[in-house]
Amino acid sequence: MGKTILYVVVSLAISLAYFTLVDHFLMDMQGLDYWYLFRK
Amino acid sequence: MVSLTRKKTLSIIALSAMIGLLLMPIVMSIPAVASGGGESAGSPPPDAVKKEGAAPEQKVEKARDVYYKTEGIVVGAPAPKTTDGPKDYPRYNFESRVLLWFANQQHLYYGSFVLAVPIFCMVIEFIGVVTKDKAMAKKYDQLAYDFIKISLTAYSLTAILGGILIFTFLTLYPAFFGYLSSIFRPVMHIYALTFVAESGTLYIYYYGWDKMKEGLLKWIHLSMSVILNVIGTLLMMLANSWIGFMMSPAGVDEQGRFLGNIWHVLHTALWNPLNVHRILGNMAFGGGVVAAYAAYRFLSAKNDEERAHYDWMGYIAMSLGVAFLIPLPFAGYWLMREVYAYRQQMGITLMGGLLAWLFIIQATMIGILFLSTNYYLWQALGRMSGAERFQRYIKYFVFILVCGFLIFITPHTMVMTPAELKAMGGQQHPVLGNYGVMSAKNGGINVIITTTVLTFIWYQRGNKIPAVSWAKFGNIFMGCFFFMAYVNIIWLAVYGYYIPANVRVGLSVPQVATTLSCLFFMTALNLTMLKGAKEIGPIMWGKISVRSQYAIIMLATAFTWMMGLMGYIRSSVRLFWHVNEIMRDNSPWAYTHTVGFAANMISFNVLFFWVSIMFVFWLGTLGAKKAPVGAKAPVPGGAPAPAVGH
Repeated sequence: MGKTILYVVVSLAISLAYFTLVDHFLMDMQGLDYWYLFRK
Repeated sequence: MVSLTRKKTLSIIALSAMIGLLLMPIVMSIPAVASGGGESAGSPPPDAVKKEGAAPEQKVEKARDVYYKTEGIVVGAPAPKTTDGPKDYPRYNFESRVLLWFANQQHLYYGSFVLAVPIFCMVIEFIGVVTKDKAMAKKYDQLAYDFIKISLTAYSLTAILGGILIFTFLTLYPAFFGYLSSIFRPVMHIYALTFVAESGTLYIYYYGWDKMKEGLLKWIHLSMSVILNVIGTLLMMLANSWIGFMMSPAGVDEQGRFLGNIWHVLHTALWNPLNVHRILGNMAFGGGVVAAYAAYRFLSAKNDEERAHYDWMGYIAMSLGVAFLIPLPFAGYWLMREVYAYRQQMGITLMGGLLAWLFIIQATMIGILFLSTNYYLWQALGRMSGAERFQRYIKYFVFILVCGFLIFITPHTMVMTPAELKAMGGQQHPVLGNYGVMSAKNGGINVIITTTVLTFIWYQRGNKIPAVSWAKFGNIFMGCFFFMAYVNIIWLAVYGYYIPANVRVGLSVPQVATTLSCLFFMTALNLTMLKGAKEIGPIMWGKISVRSQYAIIMLATAFTWMMGLMGYIRSSVRLFWHVNEIMRDNSPWAYTHTVGFAANMISFNVLFFWVSIMFVFWLGTLGAKKAPVGAKAPVPGGAPAPAVGH
């Protein structure tokens, strides 16, 4: 059970980081600010 | 042995000579194109040039390219200013545009089909050549042969329809066709020669199948399919350049006079996105039609062996079609982006104005395509032992797909009577109107595609259990990745409501990247995990519900419908122009049809295509008894059969 939780946490962390990077960099490549709302 | 080698050498020489002769006209034409088309496109005939040449001095006039903004020497005549009458628009007692629409659409359907099928043949034949299992290699080879056999009859029909199309143009729109062919004169010639090269290569490829089935000759045969497809793609790109020019002209001045650079005429703003979109569209369409053929043969099969073969054939064709369907919306998105970049008004007419309702119909068709695909895959789980464990989750998939679909087809504004408008309190529905924006729609379609990827991954796992040591982590990671992908897609869709339009428009790119990440990374991960997987039971080819075959037929019909619809939209966006902003359409039919009329016309085209292709299928069954690959290939799978074919 402990191993499963660890796997889930690691997987979620990797996926979250990956998609955040995708969002950030692909917006950046278009000259747009992904964090527009949060910077305002 | 020596005689065999000599025979092989002679065959190679003969083949090379034949291909060389086929390609020679194209090679010889290349310098002419490079120099702007030899005789300048759009220039007067040679005898007229001679007479003019007698004059002591010739005035050189320069003008500016409407798109590239470069200066060039005027070498063509201006676009004719047509008037409604028998000179420019001769007619029968019927709407000329409808006749042309019909001829064009039918030619395009068959053209797409015969360009797509050889690509499938190439892929399947290659798989057959590299497959180590001899029995399987033979099955793939037989399958590729079956594919090309279907396309051969269709090929003749394509040529006939092409002839009908040209005659329709010459008879009903002589002024427009004269202008277009004067601009494209050098490449029109190459187009015809390319068609000859395509025909020749196709016939050698088909009739040489049996003679070139082993060893080096097989590789030569395979490489011929590559040549065939290169020529086919070139053919398609040349045809695309005409419609690209009609929508977004380049290489001419504002009067439509050719400026001597044929590359500018070909390479218009929309040429590349049109090429990519059409290649993918043709492949998806071709896969759908071949799968429908297999479904038809499955439904009319007399024994289990036949059913097993056509079930397998349908699965392969459908998989190839869907593989190209998945990136198709993204290619379409690119095309629309380029349309907006070229003329914003054109984009607005398409997606927010006159033609917007047709886009809602298009969204419905896209949704149907994906729903049919998923339905087929769920049904296909039924032929695998062990796949029952996935059945109980299907209802959740249906829920997700339906939510995505409903959002995707929600219109932004409605066409309403004043009373309806008053009752609703405005052009937008107070609640549902919120879903009719691109931000929500992008979310909807990406959810649908991601779910389709997930369904396909489950299908791959149907009768297998991963046996790799890290299977547990792999499964959890895959689950989390998909979960986060859904979260990201929905988050970006919602986020779009809170930021300005100029920032929002960029969110579609990471959304697409999220979906594609699932497609590429998770499929790769799944295949890695399934290496050496434990098989619960065999795939019982042929043991699939009849409903699944109707889903395939639905899929193919939806492809056909959508192609007709999108072709109409793309063409209609020019409104009252033959060539956008260059040559005006002054015929009595230079108006946009009602949605109802267009839908009926498109449906008629779809119906005609399917009736005629059924005839082609029937012709294919007449020669079915003659098996080309030695003895009749055993059925892939049978019932029950070895688990193959993922």
